[in-house]
Amino acid sequence: MMPTPEIAKNSNVLPLKHSESFKEYENKSDQDIWRAFNKGSEAAFNYIYRSYAAVLYQYGTQFTKDEHILQECIQNIFISLRRKRGTLAEVSSIKAYLFKILQREVIRYINREKNTVYSSRMLHDHFFPVEVSHETKLIQDEYDTEKKKMIEKAINQLPVRQRQAILLLYEEGLSYKEIAEVMELSEVRSVRKIIYRALASLKASIRIK
Amino acid sequence: MKYTDYNIEDFLADEFFIQWVKHPNDNNRHFWEKWLEQHPEKRRVVMQAVSIISSVRYQDRNAIGDKLYVDIFENILKADRDTNHPLPTKRDWVFSFHWRGIAATFLLCCCIGLLYQGFLSQTKADISLDVKPVLVSKNIPAGRKSLVTLPDGTKIYLNAGSEISYAPIFSDSVRLVQLKGEAFFEVEQEARPFIVEIDQTRVRVLGTSFNVNQKNNGELMVALVSGKVSINDQQGNRIELQPSEMMVRDRDGHILKTTFDPIEVIGWKDKILTFKKMSLPQVKEKIENWFGVEVQLEGRIDPDWSYSGIYKDETLENVLKGIFLTSGLKYRIEDKNVIITNPN
Repeated sequence: MMPTPEIAKNSNVLPLKHSESFKEYENKSDQDIWRAFNKGSEAAFNYIYRSYAAVLYQYGTQFTKDEHILQECIQNIFISLRRKRGTLAEVSSIKAYLFKILQREVIRYINREKNTVYSSRMLHDHFFPVEVSHETKLIQDEYDTEKKKMIEKAINQLPVRQRQAILLLYEEGLSYKEIAEVMELSEVRSVRKIIYRALASLKASIRIK
Repeated sequence: MKYTDYNIEDFLADEFFIQWVKHPNDNNRHFWEKWLEQHPEKRRVVMQAVSIISSVRYQDRNAIGDKLYVDIFENILKADRDTNHPLPTKRDWVFSFHWRGIAATFLLCCCIGLLYQGFLSQTKADISLDVKPVLVSKNIPAGRKSLVTLPDGTKIYLNAGSEISYAPIFSDSVRLVQLKGEAFFEVEQEARPFIVEIDQTRVRVLGTSFNVNQKNNGELMVALVSGKVSINDQQGNRIELQPSEMMVRDRDGHILKTTFDPIEVIGWKDKILTFKKMSLPQVKEKIENWFGVEVQLEGRIDPDWSYSGIYKDETLENVLKGIFLTSGLKYRIEDKNVIITNPN
C-alpha cells in the first residue's frame, strides 16, 4: 500500500491562470483591454477569458442549469467576438457587455428549444431566485438570522426584473450604468427607478424597528 | 439629500456606498470610516445596510468545473482554424490532444513516481519490520487548511498552523497518528482502534467523528460529534466522551467536561470563522492564523473590549470591515500585514 496523496482543499487555481498576461492587463482599463483584443492580441483574449469565464457561467445559470447549453452559449459568444476582431465597437465595461450578449444568446437558445418568446426585457418569472445568506453575521445575533429570512422571502416576491437588478447591484457589484447595459435600458435613470421600486416594496422587512 | 438624513433604503440605493461594500479602495474606505466616526449614531443603520448588501446572493449557484473551463477555451480557439464549421458542438478529440497530451504525460510521471515511492516503502517495511517506519508528515502553514485521507479511508481536516504525522502503512493492531494543533477526524470504522496522540495524551476511538484542538497555551480540547472516544493522559486519567460532549484540559491538567456549540468548535472545517466574546488579542491571533497575515495593534486597548461574529468563507477585508462596523476599530491592509487601530 502506498501513502495517499494529499488533497489540496484550497486549490482554486484553475488551469491557464498562470500566464504573464494577467500581470500585463490587470491594471489596464476595460477600454484598453478591449482595444488590444480588437487588434488581435491573444494575451488580451486570454485575460478576458480568465477574468470572466467563471462569472459568465454563474450568470448563465440564472437562465438554465443545463451545462451543455451554457457551454455552447459561452463558446458561441467568444467565437463570434474573435471572428469580428478588427471591427469591434468600443466597450466601456467588458463584464456588462459580456453579460448582455451571453444573456441574449442563452435566451435565444431557450426560445429555440422550448418554443418560448422570452427576451432581455421579458424574462421568465422563475429566473433570478435570490438567497439572503444568513451564515455570515457581523455580530452574533439570532435576530439577524430571522430578519434575513424575512428579507429573502420578500425579495423573492418581487418581479423578476427587480430581482435581476438587485442581484446585479449587490451580488455582481455592477454600477447603475453597467446594469442599464445588461438589462438593455437606454437610460441609467430607469435602473434607479427599478431599484427604488424594489426597495420601497421591501421597506417593511428592511427597516430597523 | 445629505448622508445624515439617509435611512436604510437610501444607503441601499447609493452607488458610492455600495461601492465601499463591494469594491473597497483607499478612497471610499477613508470616506466612510471618517463619516462614521463623525456620526456614530448612524453606525447601526449602516451595519444593517452592509449586512444586506453582502448577504444578497444567487440562489442558484453553479460553479464552472475545471474541465469545462478548459474545454470551452479549447473549443473557442479551435473554431478559429475551422471556419467551415462555424459553431462546433461536439468535442473533437483528435485536435484537443494537445492539452490532454500534456496533462496525460504529467499524470503518468506522477503515477510512476508514486508507484516507485510506494514500492520503496513497501520493500523497506518488508525487510525491516523491527525498524520504526519513516513517518509521513503534513505541515499546514497559517492561512491554509487541508484535507488528508489516510490509507484506511479516514479523513482528517487539518486547520491552519497544524501538523500531523503517521506511518505510511498502519500496523495490524492499531492506527496511530500524531497531532500538533487542530484537526477534525472522520474515522473509518474497522476492527483496529484509531489513536490520536497529542504529546503524552492519547485519544482512542473506533469509528467516529471528533475535533481535537491543542492550543498554543497548552490547553487541549477534544469535542465529539458522533461515536465514542476515550482519552488517556500522562497522569493516568481516563475520560470518556458521549456525542455532543467536549473535554477541556487546561495547562495545569485540570479537566472539565462540557457541551459545545458545533459552529464555534468545528465550523472551521466548513470555512466558517467564528468569534465568540473574544478579546482583542484573541481576535488578533485568530485572524493571523486564519488568513496567514501579521496583525499589529495600535492605540489604546480597552481590556473590556470583546467581539462576537460569524463569517462564512469571507475575505480578510470583509471580516475587518465587520469588526470595524461593530466596534469602531480601524484597519489598514498592507500586503501581508494588517494594522488595527483604536482611534479613540
